[in-house]
Amino acid sequence: MNKSEHLDSVIKTHQITKEEKLLNKFRERNKEVKDDLFEHYKGSIYNPFNSGSYAKNTAINTKFDFDLIAPFKRYAFGTKGTLKEMYEDVYDFLYEKYKDVAKVKKQKVSIGIEFYADSENDIVKIDVTPGRELNEKQYIEDSKLNLYVYSRYGKFDAGSERIQTNIQAQIDSIRNRATTEKDSIRKIIRLLKVWKKTKFDYPTKSYFLELITIKAFDNKTIAGNLWDKLKTVLEYIKDEVTKDSFTLKDKGNSSNDLADTLTESEKRTLSNDMKNILDRIEENDENIKTYFPENAKFKEDKKEENKYQVKGSGFFTIPPKNERFG
Amino acid sequence: MILTNIEIGLSIEIDDKLVGNLIYIGKKHYPNEFGGFLIGNYSDDFKKLNITDTILPNRYKSTPFLFERENIGVDEQFEKFYKENPQKFYVGEWHTHPNNLPIPSNMDIKAMNNITNSKEVAIQNPIFLIIGYNKIKTELGFYIIFKNKIYKYETVNK
Ligand SMILES: [Zn+2]
Repeated sequence: MNKSEHLDSVIKTHQITKEEKLLNKFRERNKEVKDDLFEHYKGSIYNPFNSGSYAKNTAINTKFDFDLIAPFKRYAFGTKGTLKEMYEDVYDFLYEKYKDVAKVKKQKVSIGIEFYADSENDIVKIDVTPGRELNEKQYIEDSKLNLYVYSRYGKFDAGSERIQTNIQAQIDSIRNRATTEKDSIRKIIRLLKVWKKTKFDYPTKSYFLELITIKAFDNKTIAGNLWDKLKTVLEYIKDEVTKDSFTLKDKGNSSNDLADTLTESEKRTLSNDMKNILDRIEENDENIKTYFPENAKFKEDKKEENKYQVKGSGFFTIPPKNERFG
Repeated sequence: MILTNIEIGLSIEIDDKLVGNLIYIGKKHYPNEFGGFLIGNYSDDFKKLNITDTILPNRYKSTPFLFERENIGVDEQFEKFYKENPQKFYVGEWHTHPNNLPIPSNMDIKAMNNITNSKEVAIQNPIFLIIGYNKIKTELGFYIIFKNKIYKYETVNK
């Protein structure tokens, strides 16, 4: 046995334990929201399920994206109920339910519930995406849902009701691919999400980054060490996104092109950002830390290193008298 | 030998000769328990404890299941170590478990807490070494109470 290797693995497993602790908090909250939705919309809703990064095995350890899909029945909000009414109703319900313990806010197609930091300063965030089956009972067959677009989202206008997607198929596609391509795709996706997290409110969706990474692996020979692989994917994104012919088909609905979720100028920004990352890292390896920072949380833990200490100022001790050991 | 506890990230270095000596002294009292005080100092970064010497008690009671030591008549020896360069001081205690494993008994845990929390003890985290032995083998257990929890050190190399 190699001792150092063993120690390394011990350290890593300790980190996983920490990660798992946080993950468990998410799981608990997630279940709570899921149960509340199912209870409140009894008879009008199918089983809510998770479609987020966690289910896609691409979660970054600082923040798990928990996306919860709430699949409503066709007439859940009346025979004339609109997607907007569905969205607003779910928002109102979640707001009332969680306003004292969380920030509840409207997002592009989902409603974000960001629970206030707990005693360990961990923040749990669950995004609830309400969707409605296309026709009565059709969801059971095709898993397709219509979503409501609340804010402006690429070339779809706010208030539009056009996005239609098979979220279950999205999850399956990434899961299968990630397991067959060993860990490479997963690692690159993780890295890209770490990078995205360094940006404030970046318009590119995580799902966009996931799909384009897969597409890069489809179209390029991606080999070498992790940096070589990441570099190839960054180059691919830089070169491809701004092309007129660029498409990014949603695995859940091939008529849905993720390329349309970004405006032309947002695509240029993405391409420029990729170029910048590549150039700056080319200039100086150290810059990789800026774009792909380590998990500050774990770093803090490392900083807060334990030491042997004294109670007062000196070390001199006469041991306490009459101690008994057994 | 060097021992470490990965969870708290602290280690201990103890001279092999000293370990051999403690085992030798402990076994001389068979079938009774025996023990003493541990002397040493810390590394510059306060992450490693060096255990260098022992002071044996002047007065003690011992049976196969009990070891009670007093602190009478040892002051001078502690002062002598404290004047050395580098300075050495009381860092903990050791005792034996004849025919038994080096696992702290309830009485040991009580003593460890008493000593750790004693106002007379200058250091926050004294070390407790238990030497368990039988005819066939000898095992060492190094323990520390850190933030109210007991941790055991593991050997990393010899
Ligand atoms: Zn004992």
